[in-house]
Amino acid sequence: MAEKKGVGHAYNIDFLNVVFAASSLFLFLAVVWMVWDDFDRDWKNTQRRFAALQYQVTELQRQQASRAIDQNKLKQLQAQEKAAQQTIVANRQKVDDLQAKLADANIRLGRATTQAQFAKATYDHDRYDFESARVAGAADAASKQQLVADEEKQVSNLNLQVEKITAERAAIQKDLDQYVGQATTIQKQIDDMGAEAGRIQKQAEVLAPSVLKDYFRNAPLLDFMAPTIKIQQIILPNVVDDVNFTRVPKMDRCTTCHQAIDKKDAPNCGTPQQPPCWAKAPQPFKPHPNLSVYLGGDSPHPIDKIGCTVCHEGMGQSVSFTGAAHMPADNKQKEEWEKNYGWEEPHLWDYPMLPTKMTEASCVKCHKQQVYVPNAPNLSLAYGTFERAGCYACHKTKGFDAGPDIKRPGPILTKIDAKLSQDWVKTWIRNPRAVKQTTWMPRFWYNTNNSSPADAVRNEAEINAIVAYLFANSEKFEPTLRTPARGDAKAGEQIVKSIGCQGCHVVGEGERTAVGPHRTFGQPLENIGNKTTYAWIYDWVRDPKHYSPATYMPNLRLTDAQVADVATYLVSLKGPTGDAAKATPDQKAVDGVLLDYLKATMPSADAQAQLAKWNPEQKQVELGQRAINRYGCFSCHEIKGFEKAQSIGTDLSEEGSKLVTRLDFAFVTDIPHTSKLEWFRKKLHNPRVFDNGRELQPLDRLRMPDFGLSDEEVERLMTAIMSFQREIQPPAAYPPQSARYDYLQAGRTLVHRRNCVGCHIIEDDGGDFLKLVSNPSLGPPRLTPEGARVQPEWLYAFLRGPITIRPWLDVRMPTFGLDDVKLNGVIRYFGSISNTIGPFQTHEIAHAGSTDAAGKQMFETFQCQKCHVLGAIPKEQAIDTLAPDLRMASERLNPDWIVQWLKNPLAILPGTRMPGFWPVDTYPKSPFPQLGGDPDAQMRAIRDYLLTFRGGPSPKRSAGGSTTATN
Amino acid sequence: MGFIKGIFNAVANPWVFFTLAVASLAVLVWKRERVASKGFGYGLLGFLTVFLAFGTFDPNFRLIVTKPDNVPIVGLIFLLVFFVWYSLREGVLNDRRIAAGQGPIEKAESDRVWVWPDLVYTELISLIVCSVVLIVWSIFLKAPLEQPANPANTPNPSKAPWYFLGLQEMLVYFDPWLAGVVLPTLIIVGLICIPYIDKNPKGNGYYTFTERKAEITIFLFGFAVLWASLIVLGTFLRGPNWNFFGPFEFWDIHKLEALTNVNLSEYIWVRAFGRALPTAWYVREIFGILLVLFYVLALPVLLGRSVFKTYYEKMGGPRYYVGAFLFVMMLALPLKMLLRWIFNLKYIVAIGEYFFNI
Repeated sequence: MAEKKGVGHAYNIDFLNVVFAASSLFLFLAVVWMVWDDFDRDWKNTQRRFAALQYQVTELQRQQASRAIDQNKLKQLQAQEKAAQQTIVANRQKVDDLQAKLADANIRLGRATTQAQFAKATYDHDRYDFESARVAGAADAASKQQLVADEEKQVSNLNLQVEKITAERAAIQKDLDQYVGQATTIQKQIDDMGAEAGRIQKQAEVLAPSVLKDYFRNAPLLDFMAPTIKIQQIILPNVVDDVNFTRVPKMDRCTTCHQAIDKKDAPNCGTPQQPPCWAKAPQPFKPHPNLSVYLGGDSPHPIDKIGCTVCHEGMGQSVSFTGAAHMPADNKQKEEWEKNYGWEEPHLWDYPMLPTKMTEASCVKCHKQQVYVPNAPNLSLAYGTFERAGCYACHKTKGFDAGPDIKRPGPILTKIDAKLSQDWVKTWIRNPRAVKQTTWMPRFWYNTNNSSPADAVRNEAEINAIVAYLFANSEKFEPTLRTPARGDAKAGEQIVKSIGCQGCHVVGEGERTAVGPHRTFGQPLENIGNKTTYAWIYDWVRDPKHYSPATYMPNLRLTDAQVADVATYLVSLKGPTGDAAKATPDQKAVDGVLLDYLKATMPSADAQAQLAKWNPEQKQVELGQRAINRYGCFSCHEIKGFEKAQSIGTDLSEEGSKLVTRLDFAFVTDIPHTSKLEWFRKKLHNPRVFDNGRELQPLDRLRMPDFGLSDEEVERLMTAIMSFQREIQPPAAYPPQSARYDYLQAGRTLVHRRNCVGCHIIEDDGGDFLKLVSNPSLGPPRLTPEGARVQPEWLYAFLRGPITIRPWLDVRMPTFGLDDVKLNGVIRYFGSISNTIGPFQTHEIAHAGSTDAAGKQMFETFQCQKCHVLGAIPKEQAIDTLAPDLRMASERLNPDWIVQWLKNPLAILPGTRMPGFWPVDTYPKSPFPQLGGDPDAQMRAIRDYLLTFRGGPSPKRSAGGSTTATN
Repeated sequence: MGFIKGIFNAVANPWVFFTLAVASLAVLVWKRERVASKGFGYGLLGFLTVFLAFGTFDPNFRLIVTKPDNVPIVGLIFLLVFFVWYSLREGVLNDRRIAAGQGPIEKAESDRVWVWPDLVYTELISLIVCSVVLIVWSIFLKAPLEQPANPANTPNPSKAPWYFLGLQEMLVYFDPWLAGVVLPTLIIVGLICIPYIDKNPKGNGYYTFTERKAEITIFLFGFAVLWASLIVLGTFLRGPNWNFFGPFEFWDIHKLEALTNVNLSEYIWVRAFGRALPTAWYVREIFGILLVLFYVLALPVLLGRSVFKTYYEKMGGPRYYVGAFLFVMMLALPLKMLLRWIFNLKYIVAIGEYFFNI
């Protein structure tokens, strides 16, 4: 450098030239790169792909529409048009003349119209001028008035002229139509035939690739002006995002990529020659499933009111795949996404998208008073599992407050002495699932954080002490019979398997996950013979409320002989004896454990002094009391001395909104520390896992017990947890409130909490017992139409004291012993499902002789009695075709419903054996001649005839009646 | 490999880190002839590059260093090292010329100012290069949309903007009113005062070290050690709960440090005198107050009569006192750091009654 420097330059200018050239080149390349980077954004490419796809589909639609045109008719019309053209040619001179006149009239009309518009504008301006001048009392008001009056005249003159020319033009047109009218009409017909194709053609033209669109409007660097590729967004005033300082309307840009999300497929899509179905399009172009419920314009959740992220979560404003916080449904999808989209665990958004299976968790944000949301099977299953596992007992949770609506999940332990032996209880609580595979009772000891040999001594000390406390605090209980006679186990098994016990109880069959929450509502019956005595089972089966007044177990109204059979069968169910004690704590060990507990609440010296005051038995009981308190046994079980104890777990009411930073991942490093779901998954699989690698004093360790949850159950519980959200949506987002809505939600909760859905299908939910019955017509009835079917008074009486409606069934409606509030709730619920709640109605039977006779006649023609009982059960009839006694109809059924039922039974109960006598497709024609062939009159006649029957079985007569009502 | 990382982690501990920074400055000044060689400069930059390259194989290191917020600080390290070294080298070269009686190189061509095309051209090139860097940077390091700010959920660690991390580091040792108000104010006031205190015309328009030993050393101590190195420490080595983490350590939110600090009054009353703390704050804190007063008011005077006597005579009373006051205030930070590290000293004066702690 030095040589050139001397000439008068600090630097070598040649070298600077090179640097300048190079840096300019780099700048150019950087700018190109920047423009390209913007042009190449994922969402823009996605829209380009969609445009191509949409063009393709539209083009196919257009072709289809053109094909649909009737070519013969078109040819005919074209021929006619040609003929009509002849008329014009023949009168060329006249037509030309008239057309010239018409053109001239059009020009004059245009001029006159413009003139009139100008005059009107001037007049309006001057009139205002005059008006304001007059109000202000200006001196020139009078002259202005004159001006305005003149202008008004001028305007009306000009308007007259316009009218005149218009009339003139109409006359010319009329003359012209003599020659060209026919041709025009035919042309219009031809156009109409191609209207649909033309409409699609226009759409296709918009979508077709074009120079203007592709090389100008969407060109890199020019695409900021009027691009066709642009961000789509939905702004939702009724659904909000909480940005901590305020709440703002949600803004969802998901449709930027999910462009076909609300596209309805034509019913015949995908068939040959038809455009393909959007539903089969590759993601992100699939439409939302079930558009009639979600996103469709006429659905309850229209896209412009609900948007996307209120249900799916994720960042609605983002238009990048990862930025929107998409969440994969499983590991396979995760790996796929990582490969294809560079997906990574979202950590820049507090509420990442819910995996598809968990989306129903969001229903509760708006359907918030409802515990059980209709049409949300995953959520119902999640809540069912949540209730069965008894999560709410330790973890306070809104909507699941233990109390009159939902009882403690475990059996009472206040009379444990009469039911269980100390040794059995010890083995049981040491590892419940070793005794009963399907139980929901979790395991507190010998989990990952308390299994060392030193812990084993402590565990056994606690187990012994808890049992000691329970038995020391057990009330006396006197069973009805001390030594009841034995029955026949075989007969008992038959009863258990057929009468309906399995709606709530499993008898050692299947995994807990597969069996589901409804059938694990009651204790599993496997191994019950090891558990308790014959006398206790006998007493319990005979009348459960005798032992446990608040139990949900209903009374099945068995005879004493049947009770003995059932109890004999149950006591014969024996299985593994469970895990044996793993250590034998001596008195010193017990003292040590108790001292630890004492020291937690008082100074060491006081604790020592306290300990010295107790004898060994007292120490056991005292330690038991403290251990029960620590593990929260009282949350699930009623235990004497813990009536007022508070639940020990974290409040879960807003757990789904909890920020991931509030969760302690401790030394668990195999899950991303940015994922709330992974934390919950880990925790539920092993509730003590976050103690791994930590050095903690025994009383500082995690104490949530292990439920042995399967992957599926963990998913369900995570769905439940994610549904417990902070309430931020405004009332405008909620479904419309009404009395009916309240009844529905209260009723739905009731039928789930009392496990009616274990046997019955209600609103398409439940009916687990039905799956065990070989023939559905021999199972518990579907109750969805119950509100329309039966009269409320009858239902009330029936629920209080069920009667046998179909004596040929083995399964039986038990007596639940609900109080009036609950009974009314059930009745209102069914009424609300069918929307038949209203003022009381009487039904007057019109006793016109003619209809009576016709009714009777048709009743006989249809051979109703072949299946329906009328006093006596029809013989020679397979039992699965038998139908209820028609003598009950007058008291039981809603008269209106009978007509509906006769009209189309399949519409009310799909799969029913009841035949429809009036074919739906020929209605209102009747295949029967009676009553002038009017099907409605015929149905009414039959109905009226039915309602004259009397004397059938009635719950009203035995209302609240004896529990031993005969079958 | 683990052993080497362990050494780096240990070296990065605040007190080792700070002590090393001070020692490096001393070596830099002392062995400047060696430091000024091209080999040393390239070697230093090469070492930093190798260290970074080596470090990026470690997931924890990579996570912190490649965080878009932290990338500028990586650049800062290189630029700072380079420019300190470059200025020192130019100074040393000039010093040799001056010693040889040639005068500084800048004076040799002092009759010319190269504006056109040299200055204008290089400015244009700089502009272009900066644009390229900014564009490429903005393409590579995305600024993603994040979740809304949440007052109930502050990030852990909560860090000031990078240029304030030195100040934030001071909060570890001083109360907010000192670290956040008094000391920053004094920094600004001090910078304003420099031209009035330092009237030495030497070094004007040319690089030199020998002619301005004290000034350059004090500046480097204040800027490179107390400001820049604390920014580096705050950026890369302070993790959750403002705990210290080595460059290869995982930022575990559960990490605990045994920190029990004791006030001067407890040292004196309880430990030395073996009696309870007096209740009245002015009795309790009398020793601390006296010490602080001595440090701020008497020390400059004493120094002016002993060690800094020549400065006092050269500068005159007012300029000397202002300069000496600023100097002792600057030294207050390293002194308090040392007291904390060695004696676990919390406060010299701790008047909790009035939220007044020093």
